[in-house]
Amino acid sequence: MPYGDNKHFEHLKLPVTWAVMGIVVVVSIIAALMFLGDRREEVDGKSFGDRSGFDSAAEPANAVLSTPVHVVGAGTSWLDDYLFAVRENRILKKKVAELSQYKDAYLEMKDINTRYEALLNLRTEPPVETVTARSVSVARGPFNNNRLIDAGSDKKIAFGNPVITDQGLVGRIVGVSPHVARVLMVTDVNSHVPIMVMRTDARAMMDGDGGGYPKLDWVRGKDSVRKGDQILTSGDGGIFPRGLPVGEAVQGIDGGWRVRLYADRAPIDFVKVLLFKDFSQLPNAESLLRSPPVNQVLPAPVMPKVAANTSGASASAASGTASASAASASARPVAASVSSSSAAKPATAKPATAKPATPKPARPAASSSSAAPVAGDLKPFTPPSTTSSAGGGAR
Amino acid sequence: MKTPLDRGFFSRDNAKKFARLSGKSLRSGMASRVIGPWDWIFLPALLAVAATVILGTPFQPFGFQLPEPVWPLVLAFAWPLIRPSYIAPVVLGLLGLFLDFYWSAPGGFYTLNLMLIYGVLILARTYVVGQDWRVVFGAWLGAELAFFSIGVLFMALDTGFVVRLWGVFEQMVATTALFPVVLYMLEKFVNADVRFQ
Repeated sequence: MPYGDNKHFEHLKLPVTWAVMGIVVVVSIIAALMFLGDRREEVDGKSFGDRSGFDSAAEPANAVLSTPVHVVGAGTSWLDDYLFAVRENRILKKKVAELSQYKDAYLEMKDINTRYEALLNLRTEPPVETVTARSVSVARGPFNNNRLIDAGSDKKIAFGNPVITDQGLVGRIVGVSPHVARVLMVTDVNSHVPIMVMRTDARAMMDGDGGGYPKLDWVRGKDSVRKGDQILTSGDGGIFPRGLPVGEAVQGIDGGWRVRLYADRAPIDFVKVLLFKDFSQLPNAESLLRSPPVNQVLPAPVMPKVAANTSGASASAASGTASASAASASARPVAASVSSSSAAKPATAKPATAKPATPKPARPAASSSSAAPVAGDLKPFTPPSTTSSAGGGAR
Repeated sequence: MKTPLDRGFFSRDNAKKFARLSGKSLRSGMASRVIGPWDWIFLPALLAVAATVILGTPFQPFGFQLPEPVWPLVLAFAWPLIRPSYIAPVVLGLLGLFLDFYWSAPGGFYTLNLMLIYGVLILARTYVVGQDWRVVFGAWLGAELAFFSIGVLFMALDTGFVVRLWGVFEQMVATTALFPVVLYMLEKFVNADVRFQ
Protein backbone atom coordinates (compact mmCIF):
# COMPACT_ATOMS: atom_id res chain seq x y z
CA MET A 1 0.00 0.00 0.00
CA PRO A 2 1.55 3.29 -1.02
CA TYR A 3 2.35 5.93 1.52
CA GLY A 4 -0.36 8.45 1.91
CA ASP A 5 -3.22 6.23 0.96
CA ASN A 6 -5.89 6.84 3.57
CA LYS A 7 -8.10 3.92 2.77
CA HIS A 8 -7.68 2.72 6.33
CA PHE A 9 -9.61 5.76 7.51
CA GLU A 10 -12.31 5.93 4.87
CA HIS A 11 -14.84 4.32 7.19
CA LEU A 12 -13.85 6.46 10.12
CA LYS A 13 -16.62 9.04 10.46
CA LEU A 14 -17.20 11.55 13.14
CA PRO A 15 -20.67 10.88 14.54
CA VAL A 16 -22.42 13.97 13.28
CA THR A 17 -25.09 14.07 15.91
CA TRP A 18 -22.61 14.10 18.75
CA ALA A 19 -20.42 16.64 17.04
CA VAL A 20 -23.42 18.90 16.60
CA MET A 21 -24.28 18.36 20.25
CA GLY A 22 -20.77 19.51 21.08
CA ILE A 23 -21.39 22.76 19.24
CA VAL A 24 -24.74 23.11 20.99
CA VAL A 25 -23.08 22.65 24.36
CA VAL A 26 -20.38 25.22 23.60
CA VAL A 27 -22.90 27.82 22.42
CA SER A 28 -25.10 27.07 25.45
CA ILE A 29 -22.18 27.56 27.83
CA ILE A 30 -21.36 30.91 26.25
CA ALA A 31 -25.01 31.94 26.50
CA ALA A 32 -25.22 30.80 30.11
CA LEU A 33 -22.14 32.83 31.02
CA MET A 34 -23.63 35.87 29.33
CA PHE A 35 -26.88 35.34 31.20
CA LEU A 36 -25.16 34.94 34.54
CA GLY A 37 -23.09 38.05 33.93
CA ASP A 38 -26.09 40.16 33.07
CA ARG A 39 -27.15 42.75 35.65
CA ARG A 40 -30.17 44.13 33.89
CA GLU A 41 -32.43 43.70 36.88
CA GLU A 42 -30.51 46.48 38.60
CA VAL A 43 -31.61 48.94 35.89
CA ASP A 44 -28.54 51.13 35.87
CA GLY A 45 -26.82 52.85 33.01
CA LYS A 46 -23.95 50.40 32.74
CA SER A 47 -26.08 47.28 32.33
CA PHE A 48 -28.02 48.79 29.42
CA GLY A 49 -25.37 51.04 27.96
CA ASP A 50 -23.46 48.36 26.05
CA ARG A 51 -26.23 47.99 23.47
CA SER A 52 -26.39 51.51 22.15
CA GLY A 53 -24.57 50.50 18.96
CA PHE A 54 -27.14 47.82 18.18
CA ASP A 55 -29.99 50.22 18.86
CA SER A 56 -28.45 52.79 16.53
CA ALA A 57 -28.27 50.22 13.76
CA ALA A 58 -31.73 48.80 14.47
CA GLU A 59 -33.54 52.10 14.05
CA PRO A 60 -32.93 52.64 10.30
CA ALA A 61 -33.40 48.93 9.53
CA ASN A 62 -36.64 49.02 11.45
CA ALA A 63 -37.75 52.13 9.58
CA VAL A 64 -37.20 50.43 6.22
CA LEU A 65 -38.82 47.12 7.09
CA SER A 66 -41.80 48.67 8.81
CA THR A 67 -42.64 51.01 5.93
CA PRO A 68 -45.35 48.66 4.56
CA VAL A 69 -46.90 48.45 8.01
CA HIS A 70 -46.97 52.24 8.31
CA VAL A 71 -48.53 52.53 4.86
CA VAL A 72 -51.24 50.04 5.81
CA GLY A 73 -51.69 51.83 9.13
CA ALA A 74 -52.15 55.18 7.41
CA GLY A 75 -54.66 53.60 5.05
CA THR A 76 -56.75 52.06 7.80
CA SER A 77 -56.67 55.31 9.75
CA TRP A 78 -57.89 57.21 6.71
CA LEU A 79 -60.64 54.64 6.17
CA ASP A 80 -61.61 54.76 9.81
CA ASP A 81 -61.76 58.58 9.80
CA TYR A 82 -63.78 58.62 6.59
CA LEU A 83 -66.35 56.07 7.67
CA PHE A 84 -66.87 57.41 11.18
CA ALA A 85 -66.49 61.16 10.58
CA VAL A 86 -70.12 62.06 11.28
CA ARG A 87 -70.30 60.12 14.52
CA GLU A 88 -66.93 61.46 15.60
CA ASN A 89 -68.06 65.01 14.91
CA ARG A 90 -71.13 64.55 17.06
CA ILE A 91 -69.10 63.18 19.95
CA LEU A 92 -66.54 65.95 19.68
CA LYS A 93 -69.17 68.69 19.77
CA LYS A 94 -70.57 67.23 22.96
CA LYS A 95 -67.13 67.01 24.50
CA VAL A 96 -66.27 70.59 23.57
CA ALA A 97 -69.41 71.81 25.30
CA GLU A 98 -68.47 69.89 28.45
CA LEU A 99 -64.85 70.86 28.45
CA SER A 100 -65.58 74.55 28.03
CA GLN A 101 -67.09 74.57 31.50
CA TYR A 102 -64.09 72.70 32.87
CA LYS A 103 -61.77 75.18 31.23
CA ASP A 104 -63.40 78.14 33.00
CA ALA A 105 -63.23 76.34 36.33
CA TYR A 106 -59.61 75.38 35.65
CA LEU A 107 -58.56 78.95 34.92
CA GLU A 108 -60.29 80.19 38.05
CA MET A 109 -58.68 77.55 40.24
CA LYS A 110 -55.31 78.15 38.65
CA ASP A 111 -55.53 81.83 39.47
CA ILE A 112 -56.45 81.08 43.09
CA ASN A 113 -53.67 78.53 43.33
CA THR A 114 -51.12 81.01 42.03
CA ARG A 115 -52.20 83.54 44.65
CA TYR A 116 -51.96 80.98 47.42
CA GLU A 117 -48.50 80.00 46.32
CA ALA A 118 -47.42 83.63 46.37
CA LEU A 119 -49.00 84.25 49.77
CA LEU A 120 -47.45 81.16 51.33
CA ASN A 121 -44.14 81.84 49.62
CA LEU A 122 -44.09 78.27 48.34
CA ARG A 123 -41.04 77.10 46.49
CA THR A 124 -42.69 75.43 43.52
CA GLU A 125 -40.82 73.04 41.28
CA PRO A 126 -39.42 74.54 38.11
CA PRO A 127 -40.95 73.44 34.80
CA VAL A 128 -39.23 70.43 33.27
CA GLU A 129 -37.97 70.65 29.71
CA THR A 130 -39.40 67.99 27.37
CA VAL A 131 -38.40 66.35 24.09
CA THR A 132 -40.96 64.83 21.74
CA ALA A 133 -40.03 61.59 19.98
CA ARG A 134 -41.68 58.90 17.92
CA SER A 135 -41.82 55.25 18.86
CA VAL A 136 -40.16 53.18 16.13
CA SER A 137 -40.31 49.67 17.54
CA VAL A 138 -41.80 47.87 20.49
CA ALA A 139 -41.17 44.65 22.37
CA ARG A 140 -44.35 43.69 24.20
CA GLY A 141 -43.83 40.04 25.07
CA PRO A 142 -44.12 38.61 28.57
CA PHE A 143 -40.39 38.72 29.21
CA ASN A 144 -39.59 42.17 27.86
CA ASN A 145 -41.56 45.38 27.50
CA ASN A 146 -39.64 48.22 25.98
CA ARG A 147 -39.56 50.59 23.04
CA LEU A 148 -37.12 52.34 20.77
CA ILE A 149 -37.72 56.04 20.16
CA ASP A 150 -36.08 58.19 17.53
CA ALA A 151 -34.40 60.74 19.79
CA GLY A 152 -31.21 60.26 21.74
CA SER A 153 -28.34 62.00 23.40
CA ASP A 154 -28.25 64.60 20.62
CA LYS A 155 -31.43 65.97 22.16
CA LYS A 156 -30.04 65.86 25.70
CA ILE A 157 -31.88 62.66 26.59
CA ALA A 158 -30.10 60.83 29.39
CA PHE A 159 -30.44 57.62 31.35
CA GLY A 160 -33.35 57.70 33.76
CA ASN A 161 -35.46 60.40 32.07
CA PRO A 162 -39.18 59.70 32.53
CA VAL A 163 -41.27 59.14 29.39
CA ILE A 164 -44.94 60.10 29.17
CA THR A 165 -47.71 60.45 26.62
CA ASP A 166 -50.56 62.90 26.68
CA GLN A 167 -52.39 60.26 28.72
CA GLY A 168 -49.92 59.21 31.37
CA LEU A 169 -46.64 57.62 32.34
CA VAL A 170 -45.04 55.18 29.87
CA GLY A 171 -41.67 54.37 31.38
CA ARG A 172 -38.15 55.67 31.58
CA ILE A 173 -35.03 55.83 29.47
CA VAL A 174 -32.58 52.98 30.01
CA GLY A 175 -30.41 53.10 26.90
CA VAL A 176 -29.18 56.10 24.97
CA SER A 177 -27.32 56.40 21.70
CA PRO A 178 -26.90 59.57 19.63
CA HIS A 179 -30.17 59.34 17.71
CA VAL A 180 -32.08 56.54 19.42
CA ALA A 181 -33.11 55.78 22.99
CA ARG A 182 -34.63 52.72 24.59
CA VAL A 183 -37.58 53.10 26.94
CA LEU A 184 -38.21 50.57 29.70
CA MET A 185 -41.99 50.38 29.97
CA VAL A 186 -43.64 50.41 33.37
CA THR A 187 -45.06 46.98 32.51
CA ASP A 188 -41.62 45.37 32.18
CA VAL A 189 -40.69 42.85 34.82
CA ASN A 190 -37.68 44.99 35.73
CA SER A 191 -39.75 48.12 36.28
CA HIS A 192 -40.56 49.27 39.82
CA VAL A 193 -42.22 52.68 40.19
CA PRO A 194 -42.94 54.35 43.54
CA ILE A 195 -46.52 55.59 43.39
CA MET A 196 -49.14 57.15 45.62
CA VAL A 197 -52.89 56.87 45.77
CA MET A 198 -54.28 60.33 45.19
CA ARG A 199 -57.32 59.97 47.44
CA THR A 200 -55.54 58.69 50.53
CA ASP A 201 -51.96 59.74 49.85
CA ALA A 202 -50.98 56.12 50.57
CA ARG A 203 -47.67 54.96 49.15
CA ALA A 204 -47.00 51.73 47.25
CA MET A 205 -44.70 50.23 44.67
CA MET A 206 -45.96 49.48 41.17
CA ASP A 207 -44.15 46.41 39.85
CA GLY A 208 -44.38 45.34 36.23
CA ASP A 209 -44.87 41.67 35.41
CA GLY A 210 -44.94 41.69 31.62
CA GLY A 211 -48.70 42.08 31.43
CA GLY A 212 -50.75 45.18 30.73
CA TYR A 213 -51.77 45.70 34.35
CA PRO A 214 -48.81 46.25 36.71
CA LYS A 215 -49.18 45.07 40.30
CA LEU A 216 -49.38 47.26 43.38
CA ASP A 217 -47.06 45.89 46.04
CA TRP A 218 -46.21 47.14 49.53
CA VAL A 219 -49.42 49.14 49.86
CA ARG A 220 -49.23 51.17 53.05
CA GLY A 221 -52.26 51.40 55.29
CA LYS A 222 -55.46 49.44 55.59
CA ASP A 223 -58.18 50.04 53.01
CA SER A 224 -56.08 52.73 51.46
CA VAL A 225 -56.95 51.69 47.91
CA ARG A 226 -60.35 51.52 46.31
CA LYS A 227 -61.42 50.60 42.84
CA GLY A 228 -61.04 53.58 40.56
CA ASP A 229 -58.57 55.48 42.74
CA GLN A 230 -56.21 57.61 40.73
CA ILE A 231 -52.58 56.52 40.89
CA LEU A 232 -49.79 59.09 40.59
CA THR A 233 -46.04 58.91 40.86
CA SER A 234 -44.99 59.74 44.38
CA GLY A 235 -41.54 61.07 43.58
CA ASP A 236 -40.04 58.90 46.31
CA GLY A 237 -36.53 57.86 45.47
CA GLY A 238 -36.19 60.75 43.06
CA ILE A 239 -36.44 58.74 39.84
CA PHE A 240 -39.75 60.19 38.71
CA PRO A 241 -41.09 63.66 39.52
CA ARG A 242 -44.03 63.74 41.86
CA GLY A 243 -47.55 63.76 40.50
CA LEU A 244 -47.29 62.22 37.04
CA PRO A 245 -50.58 60.47 36.22
CA VAL A 246 -50.13 56.70 35.97
CA GLY A 247 -53.53 55.04 35.94
CA GLU A 248 -56.39 53.91 38.12
CA ALA A 249 -56.63 51.07 40.60
CA VAL A 250 -58.41 47.87 39.64
CA GLN A 251 -58.63 44.58 41.47
CA GLY A 252 -57.14 41.51 39.83
CA ILE A 253 -58.69 38.08 39.82
CA ASP A 254 -56.23 37.09 42.55
CA GLY A 255 -57.59 39.83 44.81
CA GLY A 256 -54.47 41.95 44.55
CA TRP A 257 -54.47 45.52 43.36
CA ARG A 258 -53.34 46.37 39.87
CA VAL A 259 -53.21 49.52 37.79
CA ARG A 260 -55.05 50.16 34.56
CA LEU A 261 -52.61 52.43 32.80
CA TYR A 262 -53.78 55.71 31.32
CA ALA A 263 -51.11 55.33 28.64
CA ASP A 264 -53.03 52.34 27.25
CA ARG A 265 -56.03 54.51 26.38
CA ALA A 266 -54.48 55.33 23.02
CA PRO A 267 -51.70 53.91 20.86
CA ILE A 268 -48.27 55.04 21.98
CA ASP A 269 -46.97 56.66 18.80
CA PHE A 270 -45.48 59.89 20.04
CA VAL A 271 -44.01 60.27 23.49
CA LYS A 272 -42.55 63.07 25.56
CA VAL A 273 -39.28 62.59 27.35
CA LEU A 274 -38.98 64.72 30.48
CA LEU A 275 -35.41 65.93 30.83
CA PHE A 276 -35.71 65.44 34.56
CA LYS A 277 -32.67 64.57 36.58
CA ASP A 278 -33.36 62.68 39.72
CA PHE A 279 -31.83 64.17 42.79
CA SER A 280 -29.45 61.25 43.25
CA GLN A 281 -27.66 62.42 40.10
CA LEU A 282 -27.23 65.98 41.25
CA PRO A 283 -24.61 65.81 44.02
CA ASN A 284 -21.17 64.64 43.17
CA ALA A 285 -20.45 61.87 45.65
CA GLU A 286 -16.69 62.45 45.76
CA SER A 287 -16.93 66.17 46.35
CA LEU A 288 -19.64 65.49 48.89
CA LEU A 289 -17.37 63.21 50.89
CA ARG A 290 -14.44 65.62 50.69
CA SER A 291 -16.45 68.61 51.83
CA PRO A 292 -15.41 70.06 55.21
CA PRO A 293 -17.67 69.94 58.26
CA VAL A 294 -20.31 72.58 58.36
CA ASN A 295 -18.87 74.38 61.44
CA GLN A 296 -15.71 75.09 59.46
CA VAL A 297 -17.57 76.69 56.61
CA LEU A 298 -20.39 78.62 58.25
CA PRO A 299 -20.03 81.19 61.08
CA ALA A 300 -21.15 80.27 64.55
CA PRO A 301 -24.89 80.67 65.03
CA VAL A 302 -26.04 83.89 66.64
CA MET A 303 -27.70 83.20 69.95
CA PRO A 304 -30.20 85.46 71.72
CA LYS A 305 -28.77 87.98 74.17
CA VAL A 306 -29.29 87.37 77.83
CA ALA A 307 -29.35 90.26 80.27
CA ALA A 308 -26.64 90.59 82.89
CA ASN A 309 -29.00 91.01 85.83
CA THR A 310 -28.57 87.55 87.12
CA SER A 311 -27.18 86.50 90.39
CA GLY A 312 -24.62 83.99 91.33
CA ALA A 313 -22.27 82.28 89.01
CA SER A 314 -24.39 82.77 85.90
CA ALA A 315 -24.37 86.53 86.12
CA SER A 316 -21.05 87.13 84.51
CA ALA A 317 -21.55 84.48 81.91
CA ALA A 318 -24.92 85.83 80.84
CA SER A 319 -23.78 89.41 80.34
CA GLY A 320 -24.43 91.21 77.12
CA THR A 321 -20.85 90.94 75.95
CA ALA A 322 -20.56 87.26 76.59
CA SER A 323 -19.66 84.98 73.78
CA ALA A 324 -22.26 82.98 71.94
CA SER A 325 -21.15 79.75 73.49
CA ALA A 326 -21.29 81.14 76.97
CA ALA A 327 -24.69 82.58 76.25
CA SER A 328 -26.00 79.29 75.10
CA ALA A 329 -24.65 77.63 78.21
CA SER A 330 -26.36 80.09 80.49
CA ALA A 331 -29.55 80.43 78.55
CA ARG A 332 -30.80 77.01 79.42
CA PRO A 333 -31.02 77.46 83.19
CA VAL A 334 -32.43 80.88 82.68
CA ALA A 335 -35.16 79.65 80.47
CA ALA A 336 -35.89 76.92 82.94
CA SER A 337 -36.17 79.35 85.71
CA VAL A 338 -38.43 81.57 83.68
CA SER A 339 -40.86 78.80 83.18
CA SER A 340 -40.77 77.64 86.76
CA SER A 341 -40.58 80.83 88.70
CA SER A 342 -43.45 83.11 89.34
CA ALA A 343 -41.05 86.03 89.50
CA ALA A 344 -40.89 86.27 85.77
CA LYS A 345 -43.89 88.35 84.98
CA PRO A 346 -45.41 88.24 81.60
CA ALA A 347 -46.06 91.50 79.89
CA THR A 348 -49.60 92.15 80.92
CA ALA A 349 -51.79 94.94 79.84
CA LYS A 350 -52.34 97.72 82.28
CA PRO A 351 -55.21 100.16 82.38
CA ALA A 352 -54.63 103.15 80.22
CA THR A 353 -52.37 105.63 81.91
CA ALA A 354 -51.04 106.41 78.56
CA LYS A 355 -47.42 105.84 78.04
CA PRO A 356 -45.70 105.30 74.75
CA ALA A 357 -45.38 101.67 73.93
CA THR A 358 -41.66 101.30 74.20
CA PRO A 359 -40.11 97.95 74.75
CA LYS A 360 -38.96 97.66 78.30
CA PRO A 361 -36.95 94.97 79.94
CA ALA A 362 -38.67 93.07 82.65
CA ARG A 363 -38.02 94.15 86.13
CA PRO A 364 -35.31 92.39 87.97
CA ALA A 365 -36.71 89.96 90.42
CA ALA A 366 -33.79 89.64 92.73
CA SER A 367 -35.91 90.74 95.61
CA SER A 368 -38.49 88.07 95.11
CA SER A 369 -36.24 85.11 94.93
CA SER A 370 -32.54 84.96 95.04
CA ALA A 371 -32.54 81.32 94.02
CA ALA A 372 -34.31 81.96 90.76
CA PRO A 373 -32.34 84.16 88.41
CA VAL A 374 -34.44 85.98 85.93
CA ALA A 375 -33.40 87.10 82.52
CA GLY A 376 -34.68 90.47 81.59
CA ASP A 377 -34.77 90.01 77.79
CA LEU A 378 -36.20 86.53 77.75
CA LYS A 379 -39.92 86.62 78.08
CA PRO A 380 -42.62 84.11 77.43
CA PHE A 381 -44.23 84.42 74.06
CA THR A 382 -47.17 86.74 74.00
CA PRO A 383 -49.63 86.64 71.16
CA PRO A 384 -49.69 89.70 68.91
CA SER A 385 -53.15 90.71 70.08
CA THR A 386 -52.01 91.02 73.69
CA THR A 387 -48.96 93.00 72.70
CA SER A 388 -50.92 95.37 70.56
CA SER A 389 -53.46 95.99 73.28
CA ALA A 390 -50.68 96.52 75.75
CA GLY A 391 -48.96 98.84 73.33
CA GLY A 392 -52.14 100.71 72.74
CA GLY A 393 -53.09 101.42 76.28
CA ALA A 394 -50.70 100.02 78.83
CA ARG A 395 -47.49 101.31 80.26
CA MET B 1 -13.18 32.30 -11.81
CA LYS B 2 -15.62 32.24 -8.97
CA THR B 3 -15.67 35.04 -6.46
CA PRO B 4 -14.88 34.10 -2.84
CA LEU B 5 -18.49 34.48 -1.86
CA ASP B 6 -19.67 32.22 -4.66
CA ARG B 7 -18.12 29.07 -3.28
CA GLY B 8 -19.21 26.27 -1.02
CA PHE B 9 -22.44 26.80 0.76
CA PHE B 10 -22.57 30.40 -0.48
CA SER B 11 -22.79 29.15 -4.05
CA ARG B 12 -25.58 30.65 -6.06
CA ASP B 13 -25.73 27.65 -8.38
CA ASN B 14 -28.70 26.28 -6.54
CA ALA B 15 -30.65 29.46 -6.94
CA LYS B 16 -29.83 29.53 -10.64
CA LYS B 17 -30.99 25.98 -10.99
CA PHE B 18 -34.27 26.78 -9.29
CA ALA B 19 -34.78 29.77 -11.51
CA ARG B 20 -34.07 27.71 -14.60
CA LEU B 21 -36.37 25.00 -13.46
CA SER B 22 -39.27 27.27 -12.78
CA GLY B 23 -40.40 26.48 -16.29
CA LYS B 24 -41.18 22.95 -15.09
CA SER B 25 -38.72 21.18 -17.32
CA LEU B 26 -38.35 17.46 -17.25
CA ARG B 27 -35.14 17.64 -15.23
CA SER B 28 -36.71 19.57 -12.38
CA GLY B 29 -37.18 16.54 -10.16
CA MET B 30 -33.55 15.63 -10.23
CA ALA B 31 -32.03 19.10 -10.08
CA SER B 32 -34.07 20.26 -7.10
CA ARG B 33 -32.40 17.62 -4.95
CA VAL B 34 -29.42 19.83 -4.23
CA ILE B 35 -30.18 22.00 -1.22
CA GLY B 36 -27.47 24.27 0.14
CA PRO B 37 -27.23 25.94 3.55
CA TRP B 38 -28.32 29.18 1.96
CA ASP B 39 -31.68 27.62 1.22
CA TRP B 40 -32.51 25.98 4.48
CA ILE B 41 -30.43 27.91 7.02
CA PHE B 42 -29.44 31.42 6.02
CA LEU B 43 -32.50 32.49 4.06
CA PRO B 44 -35.00 31.29 6.73
CA ALA B 45 -32.86 32.97 9.39
CA LEU B 46 -32.97 36.29 7.56
CA LEU B 47 -36.70 35.94 7.03
CA ALA B 48 -37.16 35.26 10.74
CA VAL B 49 -35.23 38.43 11.57
CA ALA B 50 -37.27 40.44 9.09
CA ALA B 51 -40.56 39.06 10.39
CA THR B 52 -39.54 39.86 13.97
CA VAL B 53 -38.66 43.43 13.05
CA ILE B 54 -41.84 43.97 11.04
CA LEU B 55 -44.06 42.67 13.82
CA GLY B 56 -42.17 44.92 16.23
CA THR B 57 -43.67 47.98 14.56
CA PRO B 58 -45.76 50.04 16.96
CA PHE B 59 -48.95 49.74 14.98
CA GLN B 60 -52.39 48.93 16.34
CA PRO B 61 -54.85 48.14 13.57
CA PHE B 62 -58.36 48.92 14.88
CA GLY B 63 -56.99 49.08 18.41
CA PHE B 64 -55.41 45.62 18.47
CA GLN B 65 -51.74 44.95 19.08
CA LEU B 66 -49.74 43.06 16.49
CA PRO B 67 -48.85 39.52 17.62
CA GLU B 68 -45.31 38.89 18.77
CA PRO B 69 -44.44 35.23 18.06
CA VAL B 70 -40.94 33.90 18.59
CA TRP B 71 -39.98 33.28 14.94
CA PRO B 72 -36.58 31.69 15.63
CA LEU B 73 -38.36 28.95 17.58
CA VAL B 74 -39.66 27.68 14.23
CA LEU B 75 -36.07 27.23 13.10
CA ALA B 76 -34.98 25.73 16.42
CA PHE B 77 -37.68 23.11 15.86
CA ALA B 78 -37.33 22.51 12.11
CA TRP B 79 -33.56 22.58 11.64
CA PRO B 80 -32.70 19.58 13.85
CA LEU B 81 -35.49 17.58 12.21
CA ILE B 82 -34.28 18.38 8.70
CA ARG B 83 -30.74 17.22 9.40
CA PRO B 84 -27.92 17.65 11.91
CA SER B 85 -25.75 20.55 10.86
CA TYR B 86 -22.65 22.27 12.16
CA ILE B 87 -23.80 25.66 10.90
CA ALA B 88 -27.38 25.59 12.19
CA PRO B 89 -26.64 25.76 15.94
CA VAL B 90 -24.22 28.64 15.43
CA VAL B 91 -26.76 30.58 13.35
CA LEU B 92 -29.41 29.76 15.91
CA GLY B 93 -27.18 31.16 18.64
CA LEU B 94 -26.79 34.35 16.63
CA LEU B 95 -30.55 34.54 16.18
CA GLY B 96 -30.97 34.21 19.93
CA LEU B 97 -28.46 37.00 20.42
CA PHE B 98 -30.43 39.12 17.98
CA LEU B 99 -33.58 38.58 20.03
CA ASP B 100 -31.69 39.43 23.22
CA PHE B 101 -30.60 42.73 21.73
CA TYR B 102 -33.71 43.62 19.77
CA TRP B 103 -36.14 42.85 22.56
CA SER B 104 -33.66 44.04 25.20
CA ALA B 105 -33.67 40.77 27.10
CA PRO B 106 -30.86 39.71 29.43
CA GLY B 107 -27.80 38.68 27.45
CA GLY B 108 -27.95 34.99 26.52
CA PHE B 109 -31.57 34.56 27.57
CA TYR B 110 -33.11 33.66 24.21
CA THR B 111 -29.89 32.03 22.99
CA LEU B 112 -29.91 29.61 25.88
CA ASN B 113 -33.61 28.82 25.50
CA LEU B 114 -33.32 28.16 21.78
CA MET B 115 -30.21 26.02 22.16
CA LEU B 116 -31.88 23.84 24.76
CA ILE B 117 -34.79 23.16 22.42
CA TYR B 118 -32.42 22.49 19.52
CA GLY B 119 -30.27 20.14 21.63
CA VAL B 120 -33.22 18.05 22.78
CA LEU B 121 -34.69 17.78 19.29
CA ILE B 122 -31.42 16.79 17.68
CA LEU B 123 -31.36 13.79 20.00
CA ALA B 124 -35.04 12.97 19.48
CA ARG B 125 -35.26 13.66 15.73
CA THR B 126 -35.66 10.05 14.72
CA TYR B 127 -38.83 9.79 16.78
CA VAL B 128 -40.44 12.80 15.08
CA VAL B 129 -39.27 12.80 11.47
CA GLY B 130 -41.59 10.99 9.12
CA GLN B 131 -44.50 10.88 11.51
CA ASP B 132 -48.00 12.06 10.87
CA TRP B 133 -48.51 15.83 11.11
CA ARG B 134 -50.48 15.36 14.34
CA VAL B 135 -47.44 13.82 16.01
CA VAL B 136 -45.28 16.64 14.71
CA PHE B 137 -47.83 19.15 16.01
CA GLY B 138 -47.70 17.48 19.43
CA ALA B 139 -43.93 17.71 19.42
CA TRP B 140 -44.21 21.36 18.38
CA LEU B 141 -46.54 22.09 21.31
CA GLY B 142 -44.16 20.27 23.66
CA ALA B 143 -41.21 22.26 22.39
CA GLU B 144 -43.14 25.48 22.83
CA LEU B 145 -44.17 24.56 26.34
CA ALA B 146 -40.59 23.72 27.24
CA PHE B 147 -39.30 26.94 25.67
CA PHE B 148 -41.67 29.22 27.55
CA SER B 149 -41.38 27.28 30.81
CA ILE B 150 -37.62 27.66 30.72
CA GLY B 151 -38.10 31.33 29.91
CA VAL B 152 -40.37 31.87 32.91
CA LEU B 153 -37.94 30.01 35.14
CA PHE B 154 -34.88 31.89 33.96
CA MET B 155 -36.62 35.24 34.20
CA ALA B 156 -37.76 34.45 37.74
CA LEU B 157 -34.20 33.54 38.67
CA ASP B 158 -32.85 36.68 37.07
CA THR B 159 -35.31 39.25 38.37
CA GLY B 160 -36.93 37.57 41.36
CA PHE B 161 -40.39 38.10 39.87
CA VAL B 162 -42.62 35.64 38.04
CA VAL B 163 -43.88 37.14 34.81
CA ARG B 164 -47.60 37.25 34.11
CA LEU B 165 -48.52 33.79 32.86
CA TRP B 166 -51.43 35.03 30.80
CA GLY B 167 -48.97 37.07 28.74
CA VAL B 168 -46.84 33.96 28.29
CA PHE B 169 -49.90 32.08 27.09
CA GLU B 170 -50.71 34.83 24.60
CA GLN B 171 -47.25 34.63 23.10
CA MET B 172 -47.51 30.85 23.04
CA VAL B 173 -50.72 31.05 21.03
CA ALA B 174 -49.12 33.47 18.58
CA THR B 175 -46.15 31.13 18.19
CA THR B 176 -48.36 28.07 17.81
CA ALA B 177 -49.94 29.74 14.81
CA LEU B 178 -46.58 29.41 13.05
CA PHE B 179 -46.95 25.63 12.80
CA PRO B 180 -47.80 25.76 9.07
CA VAL B 181 -44.38 27.33 8.53
CA VAL B 182 -42.81 24.38 10.38
CA LEU B 183 -44.71 21.91 8.21
CA TYR B 184 -43.74 23.79 5.07
CA MET B 185 -40.06 23.68 5.98
CA LEU B 186 -40.18 20.00 6.84
CA GLU B 187 -41.98 19.06 3.66
CA LYS B 188 -39.67 21.16 1.57
CA PHE B 189 -36.34 20.15 3.05
CA VAL B 190 -36.48 16.81 4.88
CA ASN B 191 -36.51 14.62 1.79
CA ALA B 192 -35.38 17.21 -0.67
CA ASP B 193 -31.71 16.34 -0.84
CA VAL B 194 -30.38 12.81 -1.06
CA ARG B 195 -27.32 13.91 0.91
CA PHE B 196 -29.59 14.56 3.90
CA GLN B 197 -30.48 10.88 4.18
